[in-house]
Amino acid sequence: MSDSSPRRALLRAEAVTVRRGAREVVHGANLDLHAGEIVALLGPNGAGKSTLLDAVCGVLRPVSGTIERHGRVAIALQAADLARRSAVANITTALGWWGVPRAQRADRALRALEAMGVAHLAQRQTTTLSGGERRRVHLARVLAVEPDILLLDEPFAGLDAEVRANLLQDTLSALRSDTRATLVVVHDRAEAWALADRLLILIDGRLVAGGPPREVLEHPPTLAVARFLGYDGALREGDETVLTRPANVMLDPDGPLRARVTRAVPMEDGARIELTFDQGRVYAVAPLPAPRVGDEVRVRIDRGARFPSA
Amino acid sequence: MHLFWEELRAAVPLIFHGNPQLMNIIWFTLQVAAVATAAATVIGVPVGLAIGLGQFRGRRAMQFAANASLGVPPVLVGALLFVLLAGHAPLASLQLLGTRRVVFIAQTILALPYTVALTAAAVQALPPGLLTQARALGAGRWQVWVLAVREARIGMVAAVIAALGSSLSEVAAIAILGGNIYGYNQTLASATLFEVSGGHYADALAIAIVLIALIFLLMCTLGALQQQGNGIRLRFRPAT
Repeated sequence: MSDSSPRRALLRAEAVTVRRGAREVVHGANLDLHAGEIVALLGPNGAGKSTLLDAVCGVLRPVSGTIERHGRVAIALQAADLARRSAVANITTALGWWGVPRAQRADRALRALEAMGVAHLAQRQTTTLSGGERRRVHLARVLAVEPDILLLDEPFAGLDAEVRANLLQDTLSALRSDTRATLVVVHDRAEAWALADRLLILIDGRLVAGGPPREVLEHPPTLAVARFLGYDGALREGDETVLTRPANVMLDPDGPLRARVTRAVPMEDGARIELTFDQGRVYAVAPLPAPRVGDEVRVRIDRGARFPSA
Repeated sequence: MHLFWEELRAAVPLIFHGNPQLMNIIWFTLQVAAVATAAATVIGVPVGLAIGLGQFRGRRAMQFAANASLGVPPVLVGALLFVLLAGHAPLASLQLLGTRRVVFIAQTILALPYTVALTAAAVQALPPGLLTQARALGAGRWQVWVLAVREARIGMVAAVIAALGSSLSEVAAIAILGGNIYGYNQTLASATLFEVSGGHYADALAIAIVLIALIFLLMCTLGALQQQGNGIRLRFRPAT
């Protein structure tokens, strides 16, 4: 999937196929990254996201296809492994590897730590940092080198919800740059919506959808993409199947459809309910007081994704 | 028990009266331990790093050999070297048997597996992302090695401690190769064996006490260095 953005392309991958050992993991991927944009690469476990990232940064060589890079690439691996030194020493050392003159290292390191909201931890030994703090220092290290193309491999993996939400917020502002292209692999759709200007969906090693997040979400090109994006309900309408997400299904006393509640799972502010129709089954989130199993309700379907019935 | 106290009572004055023979043995033991440990460190640490960090053919075989040689009895090493150095053997022309030099060589060979195997294990135990991330940020081979040494320093000091322990306490190989010659190439450990064999239990006990004290002192010093903060503070470049 590529788009026709007028901004300068910093990376162009064409028909890239990548193997890990004997197994072909990424098949014929086309990918452009432009200056100033943040692209999220989303896909289920084992789809080949990290393999594609490794190929983009040059760790893995594609077996076919070409990758053109205009500028230097830096990657932040998923594991936030830091040396047992101070936070700032980790970054100045990385700046040394990157070739930054010694005189500039301390300032750049502190700026990066500040951008990630951890300047106050600069002199702390990394062994004393929490998981979230380590992740911030890890991201600050890769931001400090100021690459033209920045790759992040699941930067929020393994953090609890609150830490992740805070980190996501700070990372978003730190990642914004007019000159840098950023490709971030995420596992969670919410992270992709929060971060990305553009979304790429990788399923079974193939880039199967791409575009602005809202557009991809509302118009998934295939059933597989729709299922991956959370379309868990299905209704037959003539020779079409309408796939729905809970957000598409409204309980409405004036709604045109009648359904029976067949399951209900209590949630904090309501319930996630399963609604069964003659034509299929959908899921909705009902506010309190939520209907109970066996109740009949009127339903309205807003939008949904339509596909020809098999 | 009565005999033990008798011999102990006789042994203590031997230690504190500065017996010149004992002083010679202590001095030679320290020389052997220092040279063997230093040589095993200088040779073994780079080899261990190469095994732990490198990607070359034969790496696994080398690691297997290093690990396996930790379990080889020193007497076997002594016997093998003896066969190579004695009579009309290939290395007989070096005329090393019965010399001081062969003691240094044998102890170095015995200490080497510790520095190789434990260094390799120490760097292999580092978080895999640490070194990969360094490479991804442009670190060259030497920079990755420096990072690995710095991060694995506690395990590597343990390797040196183990090598030193081997150099101080091993006896069988040097007795076979050096001949355990009184007043010439005896270490504290081989001298203990010599005195026990001759029935001089008080002398044996005196030497054993000195040996244990020496081992305790050196191990405590290295152990303290290992535990200092996050380990020994190695500085490869000025702090920034």
